[in-house]
Amino acid sequence: MIKKYRKVIQSIIFVGMFVVPLLNILEIYFIKGTFYSIDIGDIGIADPLAIFQAIISSRHINTTMFISVILPILLILLLGRVWCSWGCPYYFIVEGIDYLKKKLKIKNSKPSYDERLPHKTNFIRYGFLIIGILFMGISGIPLLNLISAPGIISSQALVLVKFHYLTFEIFFILILIILEFFYFRFWCRYFCPQGTFLSLFRWKKGLKVVKVKDDCSNCLSCIRACPMLLNPMREADNSLCHNCGDCIEVCPDNKKVDTLKFRM
Amino acid sequence: MSIKKFLQDFLNKNPFKGFYQVDRLRPPGAVEEKKFMELCIRCARCIEVCPYDSIKRADLFEKMQIGTPYIFARDRACYLCMKCPSVCPTGALDNNLVDAEKVKMGIAHIDQNRCLNYLYVKEEEGVISTGRAQICSTCYNVCPLQDKAIIMEKYILPVITEKCVGCGICVEKCPTEPKSVYITPSGMGNKDTAGFYYQRSKMSFKKSEEITDDYLKGDKLLQKKQNIQGEDKPKFKNNFKVQEKIEGW
Ligand code: SF4
Ligand code: SF4
Ligand code: SF4
Ligand code: SF4
Ligand code: SF4
Repeated sequence: MIKKYRKVIQSIIFVGMFVVPLLNILEIYFIKGTFYSIDIGDIGIADPLAIFQAIISSRHINTTMFISVILPILLILLLGRVWCSWGCPYYFIVEGIDYLKKKLKIKNSKPSYDERLPHKTNFIRYGFLIIGILFMGISGIPLLNLISAPGIISSQALVLVKFHYLTFEIFFILILIILEFFYFRFWCRYFCPQGTFLSLFRWKKGLKVVKVKDDCSNCLSCIRACPMLLNPMREADNSLCHNCGDCIEVCPDNKKVDTLKFRM
Repeated sequence: MSIKKFLQDFLNKNPFKGFYQVDRLRPPGAVEEKKFMELCIRCARCIEVCPYDSIKRADLFEKMQIGTPYIFARDRACYLCMKCPSVCPTGALDNNLVDAEKVKMGIAHIDQNRCLNYLYVKEEEGVISTGRAQICSTCYNVCPLQDKAIIMEKYILPVITEKCVGCGICVEKCPTEPKSVYITPSGMGNKDTAGFYYQRSKMSFKKSEEITDDYLKGDKLLQKKQNIQGEDKPKFKNNFKVQEKIEGW
């Protein structure tokens, strides 16, 4: 069930990426923007990392900047990093690749679960974020936006719809997609600065996966299902978890009695 | 060169912060280029709302500016509809700018050695002889701030004044190849690094006070045109026969 809802929302957002510029061409300006920053009616929403970079590089903050990050941060505090698994177009593509790999019977490159892996992953991605912000500070421009997968994909969609061409940035996405065939979710797990930055706002009291029953049949299918290589039974409060709900979806015990569930 | 000077030069020429090129402008309301590169998050909202497709997303040729919005005046100028400044989420474009006359994207400069009107006058005065003489006046005719930003000196020589907002419409429409009018983008570096055309155009500026105001515009002009009566028959020196009615008119 969860997966179905998730796919529907992901698809709507993915298609919306192309529809919004189309509406703008027709001079309907209700929704405008990309996944760097988007306006719905009068509500401004922006990628917190993009705004953070603009603030750092210009040493200046104004009300538009401030207001546009309120909603996304509230969303993460309440629902966790749902943007990644329920919204990000790159994640949608990557899941498509997984599906394709299964269809083409290409060997799955997903590593097996290892207790130390989440720490290692977090170390690498926070490290990458910090180094990125450092470089951004030196260059003095919002450099990390140049490697923002969701931002680039949506802005390329805009350029494609509006001008019928693509700019060079698309190569970055193509390279990531090719690498994705060999390294399972490497961008989302190890590097994506946007996703990592969102993780910072995960709140203990927000939505997370909890094992509500003490024991279960121990089939370990949730561990096998988790795309972030966590153990959903124990570590779902890790900042890596993006509340995709795949673990809840596969848990066989859930059918009989609530075992693994989303809880606030 | 002292070390301090070297460091200054090296650091000030930050490759991330833009470089100068004529006819390549930031959208209206853009803050000074250095600040712009700090603020613009490349969200492309300004590109999206522009109804004339004037704003383009910078590609690899623009180096580290890739993804930022540019108006390439030679392809498509800004038509000053003022939709874009208000949508910028970071203030890279001044959100409060609504008055098209307050825009300052740059300033136009007319190349007097190429502009057809200037050539015509030179031809007329016998300074040069090209064997062809054309009056164009396109820039004057298309300028949205006609008689403010661009005036006709001696009724024939187009001159840019400091009221020019740099929209680039004159550049887009100029029929000569290469174009006889250029826009020097404003806010791109200081005037020492701004290059040749900035220096040149500064010299040909006219103070706006010098412009006389005895022309009709807008509604008044329309009124006057509508009041022109067909009844006053033109008086010709020679005794032409004036046609009373035109068939099928
Ligand atoms: S980590 Fe980055 S690329 Fe992956 S889903 Fe999140 S925002 Fe998208
Ligand atoms: S723990 Fe569950 S919800 Fe979290 S990322 Fe893994 S599968 Fe998704
Ligand atoms: S003022 Fe209007 S025409 Fe000019 S760049 Fe902005 S949106 Fe486009
Ligand atoms: S709307 Fe502002 S931040 Fe977004 S691309 Fe245009 S100038 Fe840059
Ligand atoms: S002279 Fe007029 S048309 Fe040309 S750039 Fe200036 S304001 Fe625009």
